[in-house]
Amino acid sequence: MYYVAKVDSSKCSEYKCNMCTLYCPEANTLMYDEENKTSWVDEDRCKGCAICVYVCSDLLDRNCIEMAMVSTED
Amino acid sequence: MSLNYMVPASKFKRYLPKDYVELVNYGPFGKTFAECGTKNMGKYKELVEEHPMCSGCWMAYYIKIIFASLPNPEHTVTIGTAGCGRLAISQAAVPFIYGNYGDQNAMASGITRAFRLRFPDQQKDVITIAGDGGMMDIGFSMTMHAWFRGEKFTTIMLDNEVYGNTGGQESGMSVKGAVLKMSPKGKNFNKMPAMQLAITAGCVYVVKMSPTNINKAAKAIRRAIFAARELGPTFIHAYTSCNIEYSIPTPDVFKDAQEMAKGRFAFEEFMTDEAKELFTVVEAKKKKEVN
Repeated sequence: MYYVAKVDSSKCSEYKCNMCTLYCPEANTLMYDEENKTSWVDEDRCKGCAICVYVCSDLLDRNCIEMAMVSTED
Repeated sequence: MSLNYMVPASKFKRYLPKDYVELVNYGPFGKTFAECGTKNMGKYKELVEEHPMCSGCWMAYYIKIIFASLPNPEHTVTIGTAGCGRLAISQAAVPFIYGNYGDQNAMASGITRAFRLRFPDQQKDVITIAGDGGMMDIGFSMTMHAWFRGEKFTTIMLDNEVYGNTGGQESGMSVKGAVLKMSPKGKNFNKMPAMQLAITAGCVYVVKMSPTNINKAAKAIRRAIFAARELGPTFIHAYTSCNIEYSIPTPDVFKDAQEMAKGRFAFEEFMTDEAKELFTVVEAKKKKEVN
C-alpha cells in the first residue's frame, strides 16, 4: 500500500496552470501533459508528501489533487 | 563531458534502461534554458533521477532547481560531501565527485584549475553543493581558503540548520536555543553569519534566500555560475528545511519555507560592481537571443 497524489485531470485541464509541477520536490514525478493540458503523477515515484495538494488547494483554491492509497497488488 | 558522450549507438539503444533513453530524447542536454529550464519543469526529462531522500524534503526540491537551472549541464561537474544532499546530487546525470568530509571546496579549486589548463577553449562549470555541516563546520577552513584564494567556482550551501543525516546534532548554522534530538537543552551559541563571512572572504556574488519563488532561485543560481566563470568565487546560502529533525508535517514544508522567506532567510543579494556589469551584459544578450 502506498500513499500517492492523484490528479483529477478533468478539473485540472480547466486551469492549465502547471503550478504544482513547479513545487514537487521529486524530479520526474509530477509531470505535465501538454496534449491534454493536465498534470499527472508517476505513482511509482511519488513519495506522498502532499506539497502539491497544499499548492493546489490551499494556495490556489483549485482542489484538483487529492491523496489516495494505492495497492501494488492490482 | 560532451553531448556525443551521452548519445548511444542506434543499435545499442534498445538495450539501455528506459530512463537513459528518455534522458537522451527528452533531456535538457544541448537545449536552451527557455526550452528546458525551471519554467518548463514537468514537461521534459529532468537530470535528477530517483533518490532516497525523505518524503517532502525541501533540500531535494532545491537540488532539483539547481539542476534545472544549469546553463550548460553537459559541461558541468558537481562536487559534494557527506550529508543528505549528496544522496540526490549523486543521482543526477551530471558528473559528481565525492569530497571526503568537507574538502569539497579544496577539490573544486584543483579541478577548476585543471579544467582551465586542459580545456582552454571550453567553459567548464564547477559547482560545490554541500550542507551546512560540510560547508561551515567540517569544511570551514577549506571553504574559506578557496574563497581567500579567489578560486573561480560556485559554492552552494544547503542550510537545514541541523545534522539531518546523522540524527539531529546541532550545527554551526543552527539558531541559538534550537532544541534538537542531540542538543536537548537547546543550542548555546549564535548562528554563524555565513553571508558576511563570504563577502569578507572575497566572494563576488553572494545570495541568501529561501527557495519559494522558482524563477528568483533559478536567476540567483545562474548569476552565481556566470560570475564564477569570469570573476571569482560566488556563494549561495539557501534554506532547505529538514522536515524530520524540525518535525514539520510534509504538507506544511512549503509554508515553512515561505515563513522563512519573510524571516531570517529574507532575500539578500550582494554583488561587486564588476559582477553587476557582467550581469547587465549577459542578461541583455539573452533577451536579444530570445527576441
